[in-house]
Amino acid sequence: MEIAESRQDGVIILGLNGRLDASNAHAFEAKLLALIDAGEQRFVIDCAKLDYISSAGLRALLVGGKRLKTSGGQIGVAALQEHIKEVFDIAGFSSIFHVYRTPAEAAAALR
Amino acid sequence: MTVDLTITAKNRLAELERVGHAIAEFGTEHAVSSKALFEINLAVDELLTNTISYGYDGDAEHEIIVRLCLQADELLIEVEDDGRPFDPLTVDAPAVDQSLEDRRVGGLGVFLVRKVMDELAYRREHGRNILTMRKTMRAKESAA
Repeated sequence: MEIAESRQDGVIILGLNGRLDASNAHAFEAKLLALIDAGEQRFVIDCAKLDYISSAGLRALLVGGKRLKTSGGQIGVAALQEHIKEVFDIAGFSSIFHVYRTPAEAAAALR
Repeated sequence: MTVDLTITAKNRLAELERVGHAIAEFGTEHAVSSKALFEINLAVDELLTNTISYGYDGDAEHEIIVRLCLQADELLIEVEDDGRPFDPLTVDAPAVDQSLEDRRVGGLGVFLVRKVMDELAYRREHGRNILTMRKTMRAKESAA
């Protein structure tokens, strides 16, 4: 999976492209934690090109979210594809992460 | 069970993508809806991931066998490995209504399998774990 990183108005946007599963979730988690530890507070996870997620990916997001909570930051999740949204809902993640239709909406809400 | 597809995977996480593709091909051949296909992929992935991550001591190569059988409107899936005895059905479900701070990090994999499959059964036979799953398939949706 490729992770595209950009910054807009103090918000880090991470675009996930491909599959997020147990083979690469740790790399995603490490990247997220490194940015958080470097002081970044606001994140948008752009899932427009995320085709697949398993519990490993959810776990990475949860670890990042927990770390961020202690420093007062926030993660917004944007553009979930239909089946990915289903997994989010089943796992109860739609109530612990703010979910938006587009990255722009997410970034605006985090400002 | 009459097997329509057998996938033999090595106990390596890099195999997950290949297994996903094989299941996707099977799904296309048998007009499985995209939602059902995603759920089947997810369930097999979670079980494989558990076996690969926790099923063995040391780094030796092992084979995990995935069998699919589609009969009328029912899909049977069997995942078989020779790892240490492990019944996924004994794993506690995580609470999914807790706040971010209180959410436990573990336990999600088997939970998702239970949610997307209709029936699960585990048995241990001749030194092998065999997890059987059953999913009732609806006719392929017109908007795939």
